[in-house]
Amino acid sequence: MRVILSIASTTVGEAIRRRVLLIILLIGVLFLAVAPGLTVLSARQERTVLIGMTLGIIQLTSAVIAIVLTVYMIPNEIERRTIYTILCKPVQRWQFLVGKYLGAVAALGLMMALMTIVLVLVFALQQGVQQMDQLVLLAKAPAMFFVQMSLLAAVAIFFSTFVSPLVNFFLSGGLYLVGSLFNSFFEVISSNPNSPALAKGFATFANTILPNFANYNVQNPIINPGQIIENESIYYVRVTIYGLLYIGILLVGGIVIFDRREV
Amino acid sequence: MAAAIETINLTKTYKTRGGARVDVVDNLDLHVEEGEIFGFLGPNGAGKTTTIKMLLGIIYPTSGEGFVLGKEIGDMDVHRLISYLPEKPYYYEHMTGMEILRFYASLFGIKDDEKCQRLLEKVNLASDATKTISQYSKGMQQRIGLAQSLLNDPKLLFLDEPTGGLDPIAHIEIRDLILQFREEGKTCFISSHELSDVERICDRVAIINKGRIAAQGPLDELLKGGRIEITANGLEEPFAHSFRDTLPSAIVSFSHGRLILDVPDEIDINPILDAIRDKNGQVASVIPRRKRLEDLFVETISEDDPKRAREDAARKKEESK
Repeated sequence: MRVILSIASTTVGEAIRRRVLLIILLIGVLFLAVAPGLTVLSARQERTVLIGMTLGIIQLTSAVIAIVLTVYMIPNEIERRTIYTILCKPVQRWQFLVGKYLGAVAALGLMMALMTIVLVLVFALQQGVQQMDQLVLLAKAPAMFFVQMSLLAAVAIFFSTFVSPLVNFFLSGGLYLVGSLFNSFFEVISSNPNSPALAKGFATFANTILPNFANYNVQNPIINPGQIIENESIYYVRVTIYGLLYIGILLVGGIVIFDRREV
Repeated sequence: MAAAIETINLTKTYKTRGGARVDVVDNLDLHVEEGEIFGFLGPNGAGKTTTIKMLLGIIYPTSGEGFVLGKEIGDMDVHRLISYLPEKPYYYEHMTGMEILRFYASLFGIKDDEKCQRLLEKVNLASDATKTISQYSKGMQQRIGLAQSLLNDPKLLFLDEPTGGLDPIAHIEIRDLILQFREEGKTCFISSHELSDVERICDRVAIINKGRIAAQGPLDELLKGGRIEITANGLEEPFAHSFRDTLPSAIVSFSHGRLILDVPDEIDINPILDAIRDKNGQVASVIPRRKRLEDLFVETISEDDPKRAREDAARKKEESK
């Protein structure tokens, strides 16, 4: 564990100094800060639009950071030969990979926490302190995004063990889009008795195998109070366990591939 | 003496994109004894780094066997006793020299700031311990690399181009450190193109070409076959030319009463000197010229590769101009 934590903490230190990530983060924070100025609607609509917009900004910025942060992580270590100075010490490859992943997730968490603080400040300034009871509800969305982005980082780190960073960027990004947008579509096809067998089979397969990123898009109930998830706590625990299981599977897959990989 | 490294028919084969198989390391038999400085030489692409990576367990051999400190390569126990300094390594630039050592020490479970401080002093970086790696010069980065490779007090060090690209002062400092390692009883396995360094500090060398060992042995033995140059004055031309018949391996040059005789060093030169004196000649100098490692390297590689030999000869000709 000591080895994993050492590698993870070094990874955090390096990640939070990467200029490209800081620029992406800065752009996200700037958009969050100017978001209130972009709404010209009634007070009720304004709050709804503001929440939707700011959560969308956090999600998009976090997704880009998660992918950019992780796709280069392993290839850079190999290219710069740093990995050789680490793997020739009593460090197993799985410890290296898990350490890198945890470091990436921790760095991602820090960046997302910063954006959440900005979100809260923006919301408080725009809506006034009397609306602060909404903040707890509002903070749930970034918390779920964090699980979602941890899953996305696991996808990217899995691919980084055997594909180039550029291919990984598109693979992870593509999988995120499909997993976010098409899961409910696959679900409808697979559960519709009138769907053709082939389409039904493909939809069932895709729905089962692809990570369901849509699970974590919980902003709709916040924007639309009428739309409530029944038994919210159980839902959050269930999707978090789903995410952790999926992350575990991806890491084990990555470890198996990385263990035999020529570096 | 026990073997620090032993390989038997160690082979690494890669497939090219066209599907052809290329033996990057081909049936390599290496023997490195404990406590020696071993030079591992070869032209670019000869298979040196691939061999080191296999010995470190970073890549896997296609066939053959390898043992490091008596255990099979890849054994995690061995990783506690060895260390590696790669060619042009990158260390996390945001960390200070001290933090780098703490990080690598933590990988061994070592939590000892005093030890890190001692190592920084050993590599002359104590006053730069709080500077970040991004502020370090190339020589300083190489020295912090050496310091990190000493954290576990290794029995065996793999050094890949340890003096490559350094200024003369840094170059000498690193060379002296390596000599110090030998005094401390450590085994050093050095891959280098700096043949003068290798000749100066190594006990034994192996020359690898196209993945195969082309020469291996103690440096003194490999560099046997030097020559002795005898210069004498006041001699007659017929006497001087008589050496061409009596000593076919000698190179004879004569001009204005001065004879320059270049003979292999295994020849007993006393009868030659006696003959010169008998003819009232004055022996001006007797200069033994040791065979240089560079000569051996070029000879060995050229025997293996006539095209390369022609290129080397052309390069030498250019250099002499």
